[in-house]
Amino acid sequence: MKDLTVRVYRFDPSEDEVSHYQTYQVQVNEGARVLHVLHAIHDEHDPTLSYRYCCGSGQCGSCAVRVNGEPVLACMEEARDGMTIEPLDLPVQKDLVIDMEPYLAAISSLVPKEDFTMPTPEVVEAIKPLRSCIECLACVSACPALKVISFAGPTAMREDLRLALDPRDSEDRVTEAVKSGLFTCTSCQACWKVCPKDIQIPGKAIEKLRALANKKGLTLPRHQEVSKLVKETGRSVTRTEPTFLEQVGEVLEPYGPVKATVGFFVGCMYNQRLPQTALDAMEVLRRNGIRVIIPKEQVCCGSPLIRTGQIDFLDTLKKRNIDAFVFRNIDTVLTMCAGCGSTLKNDYKTPFRVMDINEVLTRYGIEPPARLPLKATYHDPCHLMRGQGIRDLPRELITQVVDLVEMPAICCGSGGGVRSGIPEEAAALAEKRREEIEKTGADIVVSSCPFCEFHIMEHTDRPVKNITTLLLEGYREKDRKKAEKAG
Amino acid sequence: MRSAEFLDCHVLVIGSGGAGVRAAIEASGYGETILVSKTIAGKGGCTTMAEGGYNAVLREQDSCEVHFEDTMKGGAYLNDPALVRLLVDEAPERMGDLLRWGAVFDVTDCCEVAQRPFGGQRFPRTCYAGDRTGHEMMLTLMDRLAATGTEVLQEVTIVHLFKDENTVAGALGIDRNGELLAIRADSTVLATGGGTRIYDISTNSSSGTGDGYALGFRAGAELVDMEQVQFHPTGAVYPYDARGRLVTEAVRGEGGILKNALNERFMIKYDPERMELSTRDVVARSIATEIMEGRGTPHGGVYLDVTHLPRSQIESRLPVMLEQFLKFGVDIRDDPMEVAPTAHHIMGGLRISTEGQTTVPGLYACGEVAGGVHGANRLGGNALADTQVFGKRAGESAGKAKKRVKRIHREEIEAQEKRLSVFYGGEVLPTTVARSLQIAMWEGAGIFRTAKDLEKTEGVINHLSSLSLKATGKSNPAECCIVQNMLTTASLVVRGALLRKESRGAHVRRDVTQAWDAQGSPYGHTCQSLQGSNIKTGVKV
Ligand SMILES: Cc1cc2nc3c(=O)[nH]c(=O)nc-3n(C[C@H](O)[C@H](O)[C@H](O)COP(=O)(O)OP(=O)(O)OC[C@H]3O[C@@H](n4cnc5c(N)ncnc54)[C@H](O)[C@@H]3O)c2cc1C
Ligand code: SF4
Ligand code: SF4
Ligand code: FES
Repeated sequence: MKDLTVRVYRFDPSEDEVSHYQTYQVQVNEGARVLHVLHAIHDEHDPTLSYRYCCGSGQCGSCAVRVNGEPVLACMEEARDGMTIEPLDLPVQKDLVIDMEPYLAAISSLVPKEDFTMPTPEVVEAIKPLRSCIECLACVSACPALKVISFAGPTAMREDLRLALDPRDSEDRVTEAVKSGLFTCTSCQACWKVCPKDIQIPGKAIEKLRALANKKGLTLPRHQEVSKLVKETGRSVTRTEPTFLEQVGEVLEPYGPVKATVGFFVGCMYNQRLPQTALDAMEVLRRNGIRVIIPKEQVCCGSPLIRTGQIDFLDTLKKRNIDAFVFRNIDTVLTMCAGCGSTLKNDYKTPFRVMDINEVLTRYGIEPPARLPLKATYHDPCHLMRGQGIRDLPRELITQVVDLVEMPAICCGSGGGVRSGIPEEAAALAEKRREEIEKTGADIVVSSCPFCEFHIMEHTDRPVKNITTLLLEGYREKDRKKAEKAG
Repeated sequence: MRSAEFLDCHVLVIGSGGAGVRAAIEASGYGETILVSKTIAGKGGCTTMAEGGYNAVLREQDSCEVHFEDTMKGGAYLNDPALVRLLVDEAPERMGDLLRWGAVFDVTDCCEVAQRPFGGQRFPRTCYAGDRTGHEMMLTLMDRLAATGTEVLQEVTIVHLFKDENTVAGALGIDRNGELLAIRADSTVLATGGGTRIYDISTNSSSGTGDGYALGFRAGAELVDMEQVQFHPTGAVYPYDARGRLVTEAVRGEGGILKNALNERFMIKYDPERMELSTRDVVARSIATEIMEGRGTPHGGVYLDVTHLPRSQIESRLPVMLEQFLKFGVDIRDDPMEVAPTAHHIMGGLRISTEGQTTVPGLYACGEVAGGVHGANRLGGNALADTQVFGKRAGESAGKAKKRVKRIHREEIEAQEKRLSVFYGGEVLPTTVARSLQIAMWEGAGIFRTAKDLEKTEGVINHLSSLSLKATGKSNPAECCIVQNMLTTASLVVRGALLRKESRGAHVRRDVTQAWDAQGSPYGHTCQSLQGSNIKTGVKV
């Protein structure tokens, strides 16, 4: 047996005006799950505590709650001391019980055709992973899009794709999905990361549905423009000033001894819109012993096309990019755009290793910068944190320069083609970011993705900086102090 | 508590598992149908948890006759032959319904439904959707239900069946907020599933509390063979709170082998022919014996090993098992599981006709709450088929029943209101009573039984039944009623076990020596009702 102290959200709308948190001390067995903590509270402290469960083995999807903010199945998640247990981020009926019905009702049902066709083994294999959904609504709770715009939600999209693939269904599910908000998804991957069944909804359902929508001519006009631009220029955005690639040479030698050599994949945003940030990053790399090779024939990674379901031109892009690095015998490709990095890592099969700049800098170690008297908050880019699993490394770097105040990691709204396709949604999500930033009281916002930086910049009055720019400022301050001393 | 709200319908279905939803789908074709579920519809009960599969004769090389024989033999010839006949004959058609409605079963390269071997069957006839077969069925059935006009009442617990003279006239439910709902119906279908939550170690979902047996019994229905409780051979033993969680028979179907702590493949001693794929009663007793005789693992189980199978086979055929064990720190691709028997299924239940009618007019039953189909031991894969075959039959005959003037008597409602309000002045928490009951049942009415232990357990049940259950919050009166149902179900099991003075199928009496095998047994069903209890004798199979 072991003792745990836990905090539980309590709210009874028939009696309470507002919710509150209650702390309990319970005794549970070794290996107990969150559900067993709730049982212990219910049985030994307060029989009025309401929570749902049934199968106790991760199969019915009744018991999802948030533990320390993250949606989990109470019956499967191991109980930890000090945890906070809250309902999913959906309308609460009582305590940990939320109203599931509207979200379950949003999931479409198969409407059988007159004539029966048995699905082939290939179709069954394609559908099976989508069917393992237990409708627990963890993904719905985590989805940022449906909090600001009408959207049936991730699991409804999942079933729409299943129905679209099933030869027995008689309806047009692609059009239905478009109507229920297919294009509102920001590709933030939050749904996938919280799914107890590991269903990769953004990549395996939403992008697939968007590709089917593309075949039906339902791609949003703004997305079609992006695709046209990529085909014509190799870039997904237009340039506003001399590009990064125009401003640098093919090889950048470090100032000191060479610790490593990498190829640099710049990406459309840093190349065309924020070249100065990329130049700052080069400066930081040179200062830290990284030799950088920059193939000039590189093009868009294709992410804006994949996310919006326009995949016919993709292989051309992939080949050009891979060839550019292979031709130079590069074994490590560095990205600093979270979206490009995630795409090269997850959507490409590359003969070389791909590393984000945060990985490279922490792997080879950095020269300590001077501290700046600023309080910063960090915005986790979705494609870095969830797409590449990089959460702690940026923090390791940032805290060497400034003090860090955390805020919840939520999508800023710039991804998945939403910024171009549904600007009002992107703005609403950024507005939520602004509020969170405000709450932290930070002087500056730091991030590590050009889309996030560009988008958040438009919605906050605080300066928004890339991590490498911040590091560079730390170095400049250090140099200044040194010069001051010397002088 | 406000006075009850009234609802009217033609057919009332209680329970949203495979049987209940199938019944409602069928009944809704005949008139207004209400389906009540104490959980969120489709998420409760054991159907969603069923992993292994659904038995149906689908191939030329197989035959319904062989399926019939396997089922009778597995059931130690205690089954009702007429019910078994329907089960095997109609299971394929009901599978056809599921496929038409969109169920995604595994298929062979020739686009036929794939089948795998299960214990006690001479042909691999168990159809499956990975190891989430029941979940796939529930998703499909809920889809279909949504297309009918059935009204679904979520999270309403039925606590009483109303009687008008000797006919069931509907039921009383309590919703999540403690409000009462009185539902009048021409026909009422009980599809409340099983009740092995009366045991300390059980595979069942939290709703498997035997409500239907108790509701039916109190309404005057006859129940058969309640002593026949199946102990599944392989339940998890660690962590403690997950004890009893099912480790599907599909693990052995796919080639998993059982070993004791001495690394001996012990099934060779007990059933050298069928080995791990012997019937559940045999495997469960073998494992229990190994553990009792000191050859168990540190956590008190035996090893179930699939590490010799290709990793890809484990990943594609047993994904749920893989995931569950990983969560608890065991990678079954590299290490054996530890397993021990767990209370799984109640073969007994309300006596039904081939049309799903109970012995009380107006009351129908289907699925695990009904008895007679599986005899003294159920074959893996037959219960899911049962839910569909008899769900449809019960729904259809309930639907075809005449509309009538339905009356619920005032006094009956008042009596129930009184019953519920008494809980607020009660003394003992329902969970405390449930815990004591579960331990007493595991100790005294488990795999191996004697009259002495059974009588002792009966004493405990009687004592627990005399305590006054206590409610504090609005959701608690329903919990109290459920614990009362557990007590009633447990006493039916124990009484049946005392009546059956022989070992038969899952029921083993260690204090009885008998000179007959199952086919030569002088005994038939045990029968229990408000009128009394007895065991049929002189029946020949
Ligand atoms: C873990 C597990 C695995 C299994 N695997 C297999 C398998 O592979 N193959 C096979 O053939 N069989 C299997 N079985 C057995 C089979 O799943 C069940 O026998 C069958 O699903 C029972 O179906 P049902 O519809 O009768 O009841 P359930 O599916 O249990 O549904 C009962 C319903 O009744 C509701 N209910 C109960 N009481 C009340 C009340 N008082 N008021 C309102 N509603 C109520 C519940 O909420 C639930 O919705 C398995 C069982 C378990 C536990
Ligand atoms: S990827 Fe993000 S926005 Fe898209 S459905 Fe999932 S959670 Fe919602
Ligand atoms: S997709 Fe995953 S998270 Fe979403 S409802 Fe289904 S199982 Fe839950
Ligand atoms: S209780 Fe069923 S998934 Fe947790």
